Amino acid sequence: MNIPESKEFDRRQFLKGGSLAALMALMGGVELTFAQEKKEAEAAKATDEDESDSINFGVIGLGVWGKEIISTLGRLKGAQITMICDKYPASLKRAGNMLPKAKQVADYKQILDDKEIQAVIIATPTHLHKEIVLAALQAGKHVYCEAPLANTVEDSRAIALAARANPKSYFQAGLQNRSDPQRAFLIQFIRAGAMGRNIKARTQWHKKTSWRFTSPNPDREQELNWRLQPEVSAGLMGETAIHHLDAATWFLNAKPRSVVGFGSLIQWTDGRSVHDTVQTMLEFPGSVRLNSEVCLANSFDADYEIYYGTDSAIMVRDNKAWMFKEVDSPLLGWEVYARKDTFFSETGIALMANATKQIAHGNVGPGGTNLFTPLYYALEAFVHNVGEVSSGVEDFTSTFVNADTKALADHVAKIVKLPAAGYKEGYEATLIALKANEAVNKGSRIEINKELFSL
Amino acid sequence: MKNALNTRQLVSRLALFLALSVSTSYAESVRYDAEPGSKVKIEGTSTVHDWTVEGQIIGGFMEVDSSFKLDPGLKSITVNPKVQAAVPVRSLKSGKKRMDEVMREAMKEKTHAKIDYQLLSLKVKEAPTTSGGPTSLDAIGTLTIAGVTKTNFMPVIMEMSGKSLKVTGKTKLKMTDFGIKPPAPELAMGLIKTGDDITISFEWLTTPAAVK
Repeated sequence: MNIPESKEFDRRQFLKGGSLAALMALMGGVELTFAQEKKEAEAAKATDEDESDSINFGVIGLGVWGKEIISTLGRLKGAQITMICDKYPASLKRAGNMLPKAKQVADYKQILDDKEIQAVIIATPTHLHKEIVLAALQAGKHVYCEAPLANTVEDSRAIALAARANPKSYFQAGLQNRSDPQRAFLIQFIRAGAMGRNIKARTQWHKKTSWRFTSPNPDREQELNWRLQPEVSAGLMGETAIHHLDAATWFLNAKPRSVVGFGSLIQWTDGRSVHDTVQTMLEFPGSVRLNSEVCLANSFDADYEIYYGTDSAIMVRDNKAWMFKEVDSPLLGWEVYARKDTFFSETGIALMANATKQIAHGNVGPGGTNLFTPLYYALEAFVHNVGEVSSGVEDFTSTFVNADTKALADHVAKIVKLPAAGYKEGYEATLIALKANEAVNKGSRIEINKELFSL
Repeated sequence: MKNALNTRQLVSRLALFLALSVSTSYAESVRYDAEPGSKVKIEGTSTVHDWTVEGQIIGGFMEVDSSFKLDPGLKSITVNPKVQAAVPVRSLKSGKKRMDEVMREAMKEKTHAKIDYQLLSLKVKEAPTTSGGPTSLDAIGTLTIAGVTKTNFMPVIMEMSGKSLKVTGKTKLKMTDFGIKPPAPELAMGLIKTGDDITISFEWLTTPAAVK
């Protein structure tokens, strides 16, 4: 598949805690590097793993993100990547170097035809997802589809409906925040009312980067830069801000009714028409608004989310979060003992899931940062849930030979799974992101009808 | 050669006779097949806290005399029904991945994937007051866990639930009776020792098999 091979830009890099190294350097801490983490995980994998119990995976689309997926999935217990696919030979070869045992194929259909492969991960350009997802579900594979699900609402809906119609296949959308234990902890905290009433929210993603990849081959360059082709690109809102939009609708526990957007092209005037700076305002019920921005022309303050409530504001940054309390807010008690960080003249109370447990498990690096990325947790959930759904479906169908699809779907819904974004979350986030992109492109207000959310 | 043919003919006639007699006896019985919606629960103790595992699958069937009805008379119930039930071990979940692994290992799931039950006899303890209402019975059967078969005595209640025949029951067991050493896994909290005594309770739904 035509995935960028340059490391210059990674649309989901903001989720991986880009400023972690800098923060640790400032604190004089030793950064626990990927290599160290990988070594430990690999040692654990080698001792624990029984290959006969492993699930065989195929990874389709081997660009920057596809390779990130391979290196993360490769460290997980219970997962074997036995096939990889990319139609661009150089990308296939590079990924193949990471996985010498995996079979390399240029056509994804070869993966779907292989009976030994139980699950596929689709990390191709967005507009190519639909065809592959539908074929994979048809072939009875479990599917992990990167976000956004598609570049049109229709395609995204088709994917979600196909996932729903195939309860034997476990479907997960690549909204990795949904699997992050830190986020799950924050949700409980927010739902318990620690913020007071919602007032507004703000998200930003700033990085000075061209969003363009270079290649000596003009055709390849065209393929690589699908994000800059207005006819297929979901724009900065669709490709980058979708994770923020998903997090915000989750935390605010509401769906936007409309979105106003503005886009400009200021820095990267290289003949493109896709904006390099976008600002959107999403309106939620109860006069709560979310301001979501993405800028490729200035990197100041990188990326974060802030949720403002009547009692406190919560800032989420990398894998961490802080609460900033109002003076008149009620005393919660525990915050007296919590770690605090100073941001200019404000004091942030660090919020961390199972802080003592995480430290005991060795999951926490200097500065209290969780060592594992949201992608790690998302893929861990995928591997686990595929196993649970596979065995659950097998037990069910062999026990109840005449049961219908609905009974099977009910049974699958009851299977306890690790938290992850399903087809519904994937569809809703994609819908909101695409509507935001439409608002930016039109420079106007776009209504998001309630009916659009129902599948 | 001739003798061999004769023997074969004899065998085939015998088979035909057997098939006919079996089908005759089938015609006189009603079969209820397991349907989705059942529940099974195992409760146990440990040095740290009590634990529970739950499952949603109980397979199997029940074959009863065609005159069998859950009416106040309940005469037909004395004609012992044929009952077989099975629970896939891996369908039992604690909600904790590690504990599930410990349980599957203790129950030797790789070689004994199912908990099997086979009924030997059934006696009415208390007849229902209304037709199809709850009936208390005493069941004697064999229970096979981790490959070890033991005779089991268990009070059960049968009742009609819509079209379905629902059987509920509860039985206390000892892990060691089935050759299972109570797991004592080394977890993050330190050493946890599970108690030998466990209670299995279930709610089994069966539905009349489609007439063939």
